[in-house]
Amino acid sequence: MNELIETLKQQVIEALNLEDLTPADIDADAPLFGEGLGLDSIDALELIMILEKEYGIKLQSPAQGKEIFKSIRTMAEFIQANRTR
Amino acid sequence: MNPSNPIVVSGYGVVSAIGVGKEQTLASLREHRSGIAPVLYLATVHRDMLVGEVKLSFDELMERVGVPSDAEAPQSRTALIGRLALREALQQAGLTTSDDYARTALISGTTVGGMDRTEIEASVTPDGQIVHYNYDCGTSTLDIARGFGQFAFVDTISTACSSAANAIGMAVELVRQGHFERVVAGGSEGLSRLHLNGFNTLMILDQQPCRPFDAQRNGINLGEGAAYLVIESEASALRRGVKPLAVLRGFGNACDAYHQTASSPDGEGAVLAMRRALDDAHLQPSDITYINCHGTGTPNNDLSELNALHRVFGDKLPPFSSTKGFTGHTTSASGSIEAAFCLLALHHHFLPINLNFQTPIPLSPSGGIEGGFDIPVVADVKFNLPPLRGNEGVLINSFAFGGNDSSLILSSYPEPQTPPQAASSQPSQTPQTPHSELRSRAPKEATPQTPQTPTRTVYLLAQTLLSPNVDPNFRDYLAPLESRRFDKLLKRTLCCSLETLRQYPDLVPEAIITATVWGSAVSAISFFHDMMRQGEAFLKPTLFMQSTHNTMSSLIAIQTHNHGYNNTHSQLSDSLPHALLDAWLQMQSGRVRSALVGIHDSIPAFDNRSYLLVTADALPPDCHPLAEFTTFSELSNLSNPQPPQTPRSELRSRAPKEATPQTPQTL
Repeated sequence: MNELIETLKQQVIEALNLEDLTPADIDADAPLFGEGLGLDSIDALELIMILEKEYGIKLQSPAQGKEIFKSIRTMAEFIQANRTR
Repeated sequence: MNPSNPIVVSGYGVVSAIGVGKEQTLASLREHRSGIAPVLYLATVHRDMLVGEVKLSFDELMERVGVPSDAEAPQSRTALIGRLALREALQQAGLTTSDDYARTALISGTTVGGMDRTEIEASVTPDGQIVHYNYDCGTSTLDIARGFGQFAFVDTISTACSSAANAIGMAVELVRQGHFERVVAGGSEGLSRLHLNGFNTLMILDQQPCRPFDAQRNGINLGEGAAYLVIESEASALRRGVKPLAVLRGFGNACDAYHQTASSPDGEGAVLAMRRALDDAHLQPSDITYINCHGTGTPNNDLSELNALHRVFGDKLPPFSSTKGFTGHTTSASGSIEAAFCLLALHHHFLPINLNFQTPIPLSPSGGIEGGFDIPVVADVKFNLPPLRGNEGVLINSFAFGGNDSSLILSSYPEPQTPPQAASSQPSQTPQTPHSELRSRAPKEATPQTPQTPTRTVYLLAQTLLSPNVDPNFRDYLAPLESRRFDKLLKRTLCCSLETLRQYPDLVPEAIITATVWGSAVSAISFFHDMMRQGEAFLKPTLFMQSTHNTMSSLIAIQTHNHGYNNTHSQLSDSLPHALLDAWLQMQSGRVRSALVGIHDSIPAFDNRSYLLVTADALPPDCHPLAEFTTFSELSNLSNPQPPQTPRSELRSRAPKEATPQTPQTL
């Protein structure tokens, strides 16, 4: 799980072009949207693309992302339970 | 509007999924026949996707246009369907000779230009290089124009889904101010894999037929098409013996300045666009008898637009519909296509219905709307459109990425035999007025094409030139988190513009007008190359949402919370002169007292330039203008490689200009 969290942090930094951040700067339990990293709806689409491309999980609607993308940890838990690759 | 010499429509042509030409289009609208179907012509892997394609293959289009398949033939669907619609418009207006075209300006809206052709021709070499010709927007418009001869002026507006509406808005001002006798304006957009996949990455394509304004709506079906309107003064049409078909009564544009792809919940940009169009038309909200809404079918657009309608019209909304259930979203062409639908509706006294509407959007304070009023979506034939009285009009909304929101207002042209007040009691059976009668009403001599308003002096207050070889420190202008998605061109554009604005921090420009040859080409090409290499999957939404040409103008507006007029011109080496002309027209109209005009490109390496222009009534106290212009020809000198000499202390340019802009042909 910890390994997945670290990989995920790196993938999020790359996909969202958060060039000022290192994985160590991201708290796995901090909110990704709003108060925490301050991501928005377009970032959510990029996160959905990570799920699809890297883990073979296809979401049907962006609304499903709301629970999944609460934090890096919730995202990792969802991936572990649903990944097809 | 100048009541003594209204601007009229004297011809129009339309091509979309529901028909080639007005006759087929009218039949489809009246018989409720949608043109939305699974993909037939586009070479995409998304075969099941529902789209509104023009029901002709490339070869069939070539045959309809009547051109031999040689090098001179139009290259793309955008150009071919554009030619079909333009031909119909010009013929109806009686413009058929090279002399006629030479006295007519052409303004066309497009965003993907000839992308459908680029996709067909592109290839990947064995070592992984992608080879392609890029059919840019301006070239695509020239490709349409080439079928007719030399027009007096050719411009391309590229503001994504409001492009055609903004082309018509510019046309109205050019005619009003006497720059051209007549202008044919509209837009054309052929379906491409690039934008089908782009919208798909945004997850806003509905797999079912789209259901605008329905509680269960779930997104867009993309479409394609073209439409053009011939716009001239009443005097000009009558002088030529051509019967005006309708009055183009008002236009309004505003920037929502909220988000690159989403509309604000309260629809601020839409509210301002509609109110500006009403002001321009000298009409009250209660004078509007029908609204052809933008109504894309996305949860976001339709709720935001409904909020905006409620704010403008209160609890008494006129009947409204979205016709995107017929055509799909025809993106850059939608403004002129839907204006053409409204012209058909005005002449034949029906309202186009909102296909697939069943359940109204529930109203709730949490949705921003207090309940307790009717939502009169035109969902069946019980709605008809009574003949308009002189002071009534229909409104057409076109909204776009970056919050570029535009509204047009059309009114009936009063029948010559009856005074305007009695027009409402005269149904459509009124026989066509013989041309000879119209001629007798026309002024005996041609009125000279001179500006109707006194010239306002325009001052250059500030300018910034950014050499292609020098990058400013982006952090001085942009926070890293907010600029994380911006490519280098966007960062340079923002820095260049913000630097100009910083010189007069209390002055909020009332217009932001951008010239660009290639737009955000780096994002568009990255997206295209990803699509070529990896197929139509795993594409990046960020690249797509930045790929429209008006990304720059709208980002400046979003960054500075600017709700003013917002427009983008993309016409090869004429892009900057045309953006300056737009600013000049806006300022001469008196509606705008200040404008930020810039040219921004990344390929090849041009400099970025930004100019702050004001009229006398917006000159800040104790300011030192760098230059003043009393004619447009003086102002247009700003587009020359060497801008006017200004005192060095006043010119806060970051670096001297080095490269001379030239029109790139290939990438």
